[in-house]
Amino acid sequence: MSHDSHHAPVADKMELAPERSDLGLFRPDRTRGLFDWLTTVDHKKLGIMYGAFAMLFFLVGGVEALAIRTQLARPDNDFVTARMYNQLFTMHGTTMIFLGVMPLSAAFFNFLVPLQIGARDVAFPRLNAFSLWTFVAGALVLNGSWLFEFAHLAGWFDNFAWHKALVYTDFAPANGWFSYAPLSGTFGQANAALQAPRFTGVGTDFWIIGIQILGIASLAASFNFICTIVNMRAKGMTMMRLPVFTWMTLVTSILIILAFPAITVALIELMFDRQFGANFFNPSAGGQPVLWQHLFWIFGHPEVYILVLPAMGIVSEILPTFTGKALFGYPIIVFSGAVIGFLGFAVWSHHMFTTGLGPIPTAAFSLLTMAIAVPTGVKIFNWLGTIWGGRIRFTPPMVLALGFIWMFMCGGFSGVMHSAAPADAQQQDSYFVIAHFHYVLLGGVLLGLMAGLYFWFPKIFGRMPNAGIAYLATGMVILGFNLAFGPMHYLGLAGQPRRTHTYHAGNGWETWNYVATIGAFILGLGVFLAFVNLVYTAFKGVKCASDPWNGRTLEWSLPSPVPEYNFARSPIIATRDVFFEHKHGVHRLAYENDGGEAGVHMPSQSWFPLLAGFGFLIIGFGMPMMAMGVPHAGWVVIAGLGVMFMGIWLWALEGPGGYMLKTPSDPHGAAAQAKAESSAY
Amino acid sequence: MSQAADATHAHAPTSTGIDHKKLIMWLFLASDCMFFGTLISTHLLYRKLYPTGFTDAEGHQQFIQKLFNIELTSFSTFILLMSSFLMALAVSAMHKGQLKSFRRNVLGVIFFGLIFLGCQVYEFTHFYHQGLTIQNSVLGSTFYVLTGTHGTHVAIGILWLVLLYFYSFTGKLTGHMAGLDVEIAGLYWHFVDIVWIVIFTVVYLVEYLGPSGFWGTGLPLAK
Repeated sequence: MSHDSHHAPVADKMELAPERSDLGLFRPDRTRGLFDWLTTVDHKKLGIMYGAFAMLFFLVGGVEALAIRTQLARPDNDFVTARMYNQLFTMHGTTMIFLGVMPLSAAFFNFLVPLQIGARDVAFPRLNAFSLWTFVAGALVLNGSWLFEFAHLAGWFDNFAWHKALVYTDFAPANGWFSYAPLSGTFGQANAALQAPRFTGVGTDFWIIGIQILGIASLAASFNFICTIVNMRAKGMTMMRLPVFTWMTLVTSILIILAFPAITVALIELMFDRQFGANFFNPSAGGQPVLWQHLFWIFGHPEVYILVLPAMGIVSEILPTFTGKALFGYPIIVFSGAVIGFLGFAVWSHHMFTTGLGPIPTAAFSLLTMAIAVPTGVKIFNWLGTIWGGRIRFTPPMVLALGFIWMFMCGGFSGVMHSAAPADAQQQDSYFVIAHFHYVLLGGVLLGLMAGLYFWFPKIFGRMPNAGIAYLATGMVILGFNLAFGPMHYLGLAGQPRRTHTYHAGNGWETWNYVATIGAFILGLGVFLAFVNLVYTAFKGVKCASDPWNGRTLEWSLPSPVPEYNFARSPIIATRDVFFEHKHGVHRLAYENDGGEAGVHMPSQSWFPLLAGFGFLIIGFGMPMMAMGVPHAGWVVIAGLGVMFMGIWLWALEGPGGYMLKTPSDPHGAAAQAKAESSAY
Repeated sequence: MSQAADATHAHAPTSTGIDHKKLIMWLFLASDCMFFGTLISTHLLYRKLYPTGFTDAEGHQQFIQKLFNIELTSFSTFILLMSSFLMALAVSAMHKGQLKSFRRNVLGVIFFGLIFLGCQVYEFTHFYHQGLTIQNSVLGSTFYVLTGTHGTHVAIGILWLVLLYFYSFTGKLTGHMAGLDVEIAGLYWHFVDIVWIVIFTVVYLVEYLGPSGFWGTGLPLAK
């Protein structure tokens, strides 16, 4: 076979003849620069790309948030129209959740999980690349809707016949991130062209197909990560020796594969309503809009834990490192994470108390919601137990992790308030809810993810972010965040409704809205400053040792940046935190094999995951065009499906490929030298 | 490629002893369970809410049992079950390295799968002409989307098996991995079959339970 010659270990891929795949085509392994990034299957490079895209979309979502706050700074403001405002808050929520937090978590999953379990890569490297490019396709589809909106506002569409047929012209999604039916659906009777009248414009179709594509990306990635964690652990890495971050990745991935099918089906049903005149949520034909709410929140509530559990995992890695103590109550932390994931499926209707579920379901969902505070509280106490009596070193990641505990708890307290159905009936759709989930998602998740960025950046790029700017940014984020969202508790209880583009003077809301807007700008500047600091560090930062924090988990045992083959010698795990025990334990545990290995098997790069992702991009733009009535758009969708299938088919036929890489005989020579130079912290 | 090279090259032993490909297929099937669970729930919820069926183009109230041809659906269900039997034979043949037997059985699976799809196409056309459309009732929407999604799964399975069949002539479908690849396709095929057993039961058979149908207002069994 063509790659038999690739069995002899080589020090550099270039020593081999160019590799041909089973299709007879050259594999893109000699590429450099852009083509290398487009065809890579290396989990570390994919992780970096996930992170870069996530940070970009964080900024996009942030600009949308600041536009919202600018509009609300004063009563009766006209900074944006009501229609634009709807699109802004919808895209803000959708962007932050699906294009900001989830991919940034995925960036950490990608980069860290194989390193933390002592593996070469994930179980399916090309599937991993497919997940990334499919995510990018979904993100471009969702945000591509803005281009249509701007073109429409500029009047470019006015001469097209299909445009005149549209009564409603929200080209960007405008239903809120949950797209409640019937607003997102249809009403009345479908006509001969199978189209029923709709409440909202083509933005909803962009949203439907965009989320559908992002769901495929998340599902593929999650199958891969579960498989990796369950199946690719190094010798001795039992489940109860896994780092907590890896554990939370596992729980999150399980949540994704069980929760996303509900939204997939809901989106299919909504798509059939809008494109083919079906009646799933059409009230005039007997459809029940409340069914959409159920299906959405059966996905949507686990989604909340999909967002927060990775951040909890990150904090569980940072606190032990900077207190010099093992994580307090490791098994209980792991168990609590699993219980949160499990209970996450049993509380969805607390988003729907005001729909009139009846007393029994309301009471049951109230109780279960209160119950979920227990494992969460257990985690908080375990983190406090970790800090207690530790030698605390204050560093940017540690300060952010402590901020996470504090701010997340505030969000948790208001969350427990919502769990009481009568109280929730008062708070529903008010700014109190906005305050609650921003404390959880921003004070919790964003601070946790920022902590993770500052913690692992030295490992990812071998360079240390500037601590002074990091502290400044952290201070601005925490101050600005509390100024922005603290007052919203009051505004909500004082009656200010969500999703409303303005308010009149005289309700007593003016002052705190103004304060919130100032806070939002401080927060936005803080996040921007933190990102600028990080991006600068990636390229120009001060080089640092491979283990600058005195880390505990296996990734710190590797040189920085991590070599493409990860572990020159496969690790042996005799205990939890084996690398820390190796450095400081009484017995100085050995943690790796004594060489003698045939080399490391490296997977080959491929164009086809990118091609399959490109197919999704074509489908994603074709479907809304079809809904707009653009002629022949159906053929574009079919062409996109063809490209997608072609990508997957060629990917299956090209074979996994790969070659053996000889690793250096003394992998720690450089690392040991770097360790001698003491770190800045 | 020799077996030994096969083993050292891409397939280091896994922590659980289960091959990655098989594990990821089981994970996919777990996810697909939730997928069909949601679709079936949608159908049953609306069936309970609107037990009387649908109104046809002439404005007559129609009962779904009048549309159903339970004999035909039972036949296609039986065919799909038998295709699962042939699939098991194909997997067994491939594990033993009996390529010819594998090809024969896989062709049988493809043929039976196509018969099932043909019955579904006939059923959809027939129901459409009887007045049940995706637009004219909630029942039409849930029925066509649920059974259509299952049909799509069957079609993807057939496509997969056709590709495997032709791939078996390239000489590359050999060794331990070939048995595994066919077994994974088999897992998918059996799963799609099991889902149909559930759909056949809760969408078709329960309509005939009791004197006036499971939902209380249907027609009695005698047609």
